[in-house]
Amino acid sequence: MSDTPQPDHDSRLFRRTLLRVMAMQLATLLLLWLLQIRYTR
Amino acid sequence: MRALDWVIIVVYLVYVLVDGVRRAKGTREIEGYFLANRSLPWWAVGLSVMATQLSAITLIGTTGQGATDGLRFVQFYFGLPLAMVILGATLVPFLHGARVFTAYEYLERRFDARTRSLTSFLFLVARGMSCGTIIAAPAVVFSAIFGWGLLWSVALMGVPTVIYTMIGGVQAVTWVDVKQMGLIVFAVIAVIVTLFVQLPVAPDHALALAGATGRLRAFDFSLDLTNDFTFWSGLIGGTFLMLSYFGTDQSQVQRYITAKSVDQARSSLLMSAYWKIPLQALILLMGVLVFVFFVFQRPPLLFNPAQEQAVRATEPAAYGMLDERYRTALQARATAAGAVAAARDRGDPEASAASLAAFRAREADVGALRTEALGLARRVTGTSAQDVNYVMPYFVLHFLPVGLIGIFVAAVLAAAMSSIAAELNSLATVTVIDFYRRWVRPEAPDAHYLLVSKAATGFWGLFACVVATFAATLGSLIVVVNRFGSFFYGSILGVFLLAMIPRARATGAFFGLIAGMAAVGVVNFGAPSVSWLWHNVIGAVTVVAVGMVLSGRASAEVGTRNAEQN
Repeated sequence: MSDTPQPDHDSRLFRRTLLRVMAMQLATLLLLWLLQIRYTR
Repeated sequence: MRALDWVIIVVYLVYVLVDGVRRAKGTREIEGYFLANRSLPWWAVGLSVMATQLSAITLIGTTGQGATDGLRFVQFYFGLPLAMVILGATLVPFLHGARVFTAYEYLERRFDARTRSLTSFLFLVARGMSCGTIIAAPAVVFSAIFGWGLLWSVALMGVPTVIYTMIGGVQAVTWVDVKQMGLIVFAVIAVIVTLFVQLPVAPDHALALAGATGRLRAFDFSLDLTNDFTFWSGLIGGTFLMLSYFGTDQSQVQRYITAKSVDQARSSLLMSAYWKIPLQALILLMGVLVFVFFVFQRPPLLFNPAQEQAVRATEPAAYGMLDERYRTALQARATAAGAVAAARDRGDPEASAASLAAFRAREADVGALRTEALGLARRVTGTSAQDVNYVMPYFVLHFLPVGLIGIFVAAVLAAAMSSIAAELNSLATVTVIDFYRRWVRPEAPDAHYLLVSKAATGFWGLFACVVATFAATLGSLIVVVNRFGSFFYGSILGVFLLAMIPRARATGAFFGLIAGMAAVGVVNFGAPSVSWLWHNVIGAVTVVAVGMVLSGRASAEVGTRNAEQN
């Protein structure tokens, strides 16, 4: 048994993280945009 | 502050010191001291990257900026996710795969020793100074609100950080960062919840009041190059700044080259991008809510207590009259805010619009009086009041419940210490690897380098503390730190971009770097006037353009010589 993570596991982790990051940024930008158009006169 | 708050702060400081020092176990070579033997998990590295970037300036200066200026500062970070993706595809595999200690070491392999030495020297100057301002930011505020001497405030943050960084190396920096990040997030969320609970109006009305003054305007699509924070300066200038910062600044590079693999290094960078914009938006929102809180609770005319005392003592009559007018204006603004809430509760759109317009006018009156007071303070003291940095501390000390005050102050200390530790560690790495081992003693046992590394950490700690005592009188602190970095960052990024172009040559890289800094210098000190976020773009583009032209000439000369010899 080796403690070293498999390369496949690492690249799956990277792709998953990339998707989550982009989703999180879009959600935050959308929320900020909604705050602006709802409350800024 | 009550006894419980002090107990929390002391417990935090002791815990951090003990936890950091015990990480020294097993660190007997410089590979372990500087790179943790490239064994750290991605999530710990990601949290460490975030903690390094989130300094006390963020908790004090950014919240103040949120209270006075609103959310628009968040645009500064819009380029971050894009920069992380670009870095993940370009520089991270280069640097992780090259098995280097510093980013600049790679430049010697690609170009020559002088390019490596110049970039690492620029890093030492820029980071050494900015480390000082990172300590100075909270130190100045602590001195003003607690009445301590500046030296004591600097020592409170500097001494424990230097000790655990010096003894524990990068292991201590990373694992202490993880805990500090947890404390910071907890404190921010706890303060926002407390603010919502303490506000006398519903959250929807509070946001309407903030929005009426333009403080919820997070997007500004204007193309004004002199405006510091617009969507375009954040997206384009911010991308270049973040590329430079995360791709070429050793304090960041050193975090992710400790990861186990290239993909883990990429994931750690992305993880820090994951939380960055939401966390910054949350911190700014905390500032915006503090503004709304002070609509209903009387704020002081000047938040900086030292400045207020000086003005009161020197100009008692002028200050007294101004304060009286301020009191009346505040009362009128609170009444107008109450009318907004009442109109919105009734669901009357016309009355609501009219009351919001009245509130905006009363807010403008308050703003004008504050501007007058800040002008008076500047005349009396001869320095900028830097009031924006005292808004949050005033709120924390006067209105947060017992216990939460201690937690927030500990979070500010944590934010400061996590950034200082990473910077000291990286400054020591560059000093030892790029200068001492490269030019002074290339062949020495690891134990010797380890000893020199610890001494270098101590030296840079002392240097940063000395700079901190002098850097105390600069403008809005967060802007100062980033502006200082912008002078060098774009040009250094340009050199790394050149490194990835196969046709680029050493002469082009070296003189391109000098040309890039000259271009930023010209823009910085005069014509044409361009906001500092664009300096990174100008520096990087100049380095690449000049570098490629000179590389083309160098290649042509070599070609001609070869042809003549044949």
